[in-house]
Amino acid sequence: MQENPDNTTHFGFKTVEEDKKVELVADVFHSVAAKYDIMNDVLSMGIHRIWKRFTIDCSGVRQGQKVLDLAGGTGDLTAKFSRIVGTKGEVVLADINDSMLKVGRTKLRDMGIEGNVSYVQANAEELPFPDNHFDLITIAFGLRNVTDKDKALASIYRVLKPGGRLLVLEFSKPVYTPVEKFYDFYSFNILPKLGKLIANDSESYQYLAESIRMHPDQDTLKEMMNNVGFEGTEYFNLSAGIVALHRGYKY
Amino acid sequence: MPLTNLLCGLLETGVNQLHQLDSSAVSKRKQLNGTIIAASLKELKLPLYFIISEQQVDVLNKFEGEPDCTIKVSFQALNKLQDNRQLTQLIKSGELEVDGDIQLVQQFAMLLTDMQIDWEEHLSQKVGDVIAHKFFQHAKKAVQTTQTQYKRIEKQSSLYLTEEVKVAPSALEVAYFSDQVSRLESDTEQLLNKINNKLEKQLNDLSQSKVLADKK
Ligand SMILES: C[S@@+](CC[C@H](N)C(=O)[O-])C[C@H]1O[C@@H](n2cnc3c(N)ncnc32)[C@H](O)[C@@H]1O
Repeated sequence: MQENPDNTTHFGFKTVEEDKKVELVADVFHSVAAKYDIMNDVLSMGIHRIWKRFTIDCSGVRQGQKVLDLAGGTGDLTAKFSRIVGTKGEVVLADINDSMLKVGRTKLRDMGIEGNVSYVQANAEELPFPDNHFDLITIAFGLRNVTDKDKALASIYRVLKPGGRLLVLEFSKPVYTPVEKFYDFYSFNILPKLGKLIANDSESYQYLAESIRMHPDQDTLKEMMNNVGFEGTEYFNLSAGIVALHRGYKY
Repeated sequence: MPLTNLLCGLLETGVNQLHQLDSSAVSKRKQLNGTIIAASLKELKLPLYFIISEQQVDVLNKFEGEPDCTIKVSFQALNKLQDNRQLTQLIKSGELEVDGDIQLVQQFAMLLTDMQIDWEEHLSQKVGDVIAHKFFQHAKKAVQTTQTQYKRIEKQSSLYLTEEVKVAPSALEVAYFSDQVSRLESDTEQLLNKINNKLEKQLNDLSQSKVLADKK
């Protein structure tokens, strides 16, 4: 759906050449990596923790399984998965951005998480893993940054085991107009200012707000998942649709 | 759904925060490392899954794997779980249902309830020895005062109930009442005896007059 005839794509509201988007997104996350966790808590007022808990509830993950936390950033989900799958399981934290990976790795090591987690720098569009490899793949607040989302979804489908599931946690379209209005105001007026205040980086948070608006809504994303082969696809609106969790199975 | 997520989150944070202060928590978690325990209150029907690792305790409200041990316990029995001797008792009385290793249940109960926290020590790290010590002196005093106050209130409220509103009888009244009851009891007994005697006498008279009549 991002494929334009002239090879351009969205970077927030700006239209840029496709191979430049990767670089631009990289810049954004390089510059926010260090303060990423604090910003997450401040900007979502801590609610992102609840969204992530819900994601884990829907994951069905068990002892001994193989999990890929894609666009895993600072590894919130990885930490939980690592403890659930235990010593016989395996979690891969993959991210395109090595600054985020480094912050993630340091954070998890400090928490004492070691042994069953590995760190891989990878682009979601071309995952460097064998076919049918993972029981579970999650991508939380990552898909909207990916240039070619269809390609990423297809690549995810390939490395997922039959019987495995994909969970996409992502900003979405609020289901009530008042919520949408408030939310718009928040993302375009307050969010960049907070970003400037805390991380001294209003541009990155301006991009965040814009990228959220350009992201496909609930039903479009569901369609996109079905198109690459996912079955039993469904989504759950969280916080009135500000965020949605999509779940699909590979059979 | 997100409400139970919130609940689990709060519970998890609470337990782990306390564990950070508890000097015995790390070794207890090490013993249980990798154990998953499903626990639910009989009253609530909301299962919680406790995933215990060396690093912390995670609390989930959904889990599709196989827990190592499943516990169902009634609310009142919660604080009895710690006690080794009471466990079998609780199981017999049906207040506790265990599917799995009973020893795990006990270790788990200890992990959550038997925390060794030196509050004074922790506070002194934050504010210095002197203040911490003072604070705890005051706190102890406050506890004592509350206890005496509580006793006073208890006494006063019983006075109020007995004298002012007369909902409950005073001790004297109770004594008087029970005196009356026993008096009534003995009176009744005497009366019964008298009736008995009378009846027997009449029966005797009757049979004697019958004998006399026969002789005639
Ligand atoms: C908003 S963060 C989310 C981090 C984490 N999942 C969380 O929920 O806190 C988005 C992450 O996506 C990564 N990312 C962006 N484009 C990517 C791509 N094409 N492939 C893999 N990761 C990508 C970024 O580097 C960044 O770390």
